[in-house]
Amino acid sequence: MQPPLLSTQGLGLQIEDRWLLKGLNLSLNPGSFVAITGSSGSGKTTLLRTLAGEITPEIGNIDNQLDSPTKLAMICQDLQLADGATALTNVLGGSLGRHSFISTLWRFPPDERKEASRLLSLFGLAEKEDQWTSTLSRGERQRVAACRTLITRPLVLLADEPVSSLDPFWADQVLSNLKSTIIKRKGCLVCALHNDEQVEKFADTILRLDSTNPEGWKIETQKLGIES
Amino acid sequence: MKQEMPWHSRFDLLGVTFLLFIIGALGSLPSIEGSGRDLNYLGNLSRFASQFFPPDWSILDRTLEGLFETVKIALVSTFLAIILSIGLSICAASTISPRWLLWPTRMLLNVIRTIPSLLWALLAVVIVGSNPLAGVIALTFYSVGYLAKFFSEAFEAANTDAQEALRSLGASPLQAFQYGLWPNARPIIWSHCLWMLEYNVRSASIIGYVGAGGIGLHLKLYAESANSWNKFSLVMICILVIVTILDFIGEKIRKSIRRKLEGNSSK
Repeated sequence: MQPPLLSTQGLGLQIEDRWLLKGLNLSLNPGSFVAITGSSGSGKTTLLRTLAGEITPEIGNIDNQLDSPTKLAMICQDLQLADGATALTNVLGGSLGRHSFISTLWRFPPDERKEASRLLSLFGLAEKEDQWTSTLSRGERQRVAACRTLITRPLVLLADEPVSSLDPFWADQVLSNLKSTIIKRKGCLVCALHNDEQVEKFADTILRLDSTNPEGWKIETQKLGIES
Repeated sequence: MKQEMPWHSRFDLLGVTFLLFIIGALGSLPSIEGSGRDLNYLGNLSRFASQFFPPDWSILDRTLEGLFETVKIALVSTFLAIILSIGLSICAASTISPRWLLWPTRMLLNVIRTIPSLLWALLAVVIVGSNPLAGVIALTFYSVGYLAKFFSEAFEAANTDAQEALRSLGASPLQAFQYGLWPNARPIIWSHCLWMLEYNVRSASIIGYVGAGGIGLHLKLYAESANSWNKFSLVMICILVIVTILDFIGEKIRKSIRRKLEGNSSK
């Protein structure tokens, strides 16, 4: 069995004086989809940001086996798109890390433009690639943000409620596309989700957080049942 | 029971400023005096205004030539000012620049703004002589003072989320600026450029008065010649037409930018 891409040992997270989580041992294995569920305020976003390296945990360790920081990417809830740029340019923004300033000063390389167009088509936005993102609906913007993160070719993709504004059809499409793309390259997709149907349909591993008890978290696998 | 607020609580900073303004304006009234002579103001005005009509259309060709030169001065100076202002505004934006660069740049812009366009024109005429180049130099410097300030404010007000997101996805600081911050500030910056162009056409009409090229020279000639107010009025009509056209086009473009930017507010 391959070692986990990222794992936590005894992780404890706190916001101000309130403990959100204590003693979390979680492994992000290659080729897996981990869903994080729990009511609002249970610590889903804080956990994702901690895994992304934006927050230092109060206690415990994170063991990151990725060889480059660009192998880990996150889709934030507030999307963080450039409103005055087209959907295509926003997606291409995800590929900037692979190119020098000079090579992207006037336009992006043709193969990157092709890849960005392909991703936008995959997410049902082929017709809108030349529109400013400010003119898109929240659901469409959410899909642009997903495409921008995918074009970075991450191995670990952390997504904070990536389908919250989408109708059931597009929510399933987006989760399915994210999962297939990441799993194909033996990566791990971690999604904070609210919808139980989506969790059961897509996740291999489910981390259920308890907002009333920081030690009350549970990790379940779809086939093996309760693990810890 | 709702408690009554004391009477002076309604005097916040804005209220006090407005009150001081009213007191200041009224207090200044007694110092505004006429010549002391018993003049028929209305009679004078109607006699003077009647000299403007009918406008003398025989000088239309010459006037259009001068106007064309004015527009060219405005276009070149606005273009040069935009280029200079982008660099200076980045140095003057507190969200981008370090403090050691921020304050000297802001001071420099303050100094540039202190000098009015007519004075810039006088300085330029002294240096390069009486020609359109003096107009271009004068309006370029004058516009940089304002544009760089407006641009830096646009950068400071722009949403930096996209810039931060691109940094976290591996973009360099320059790339994150170009693809994350610039697109958010760009619509406001273009809007300021259009406004500056309109403004420079107006200014370019005046700076010719001190020899910096353009239609202003015609205005000066007609104002100083006897019985030429009907020619003066034709020049004024031509300036009015060009400024109105620019204003109309500028407003159309600004409205379309606003509509595109506000697209997500209803979603």
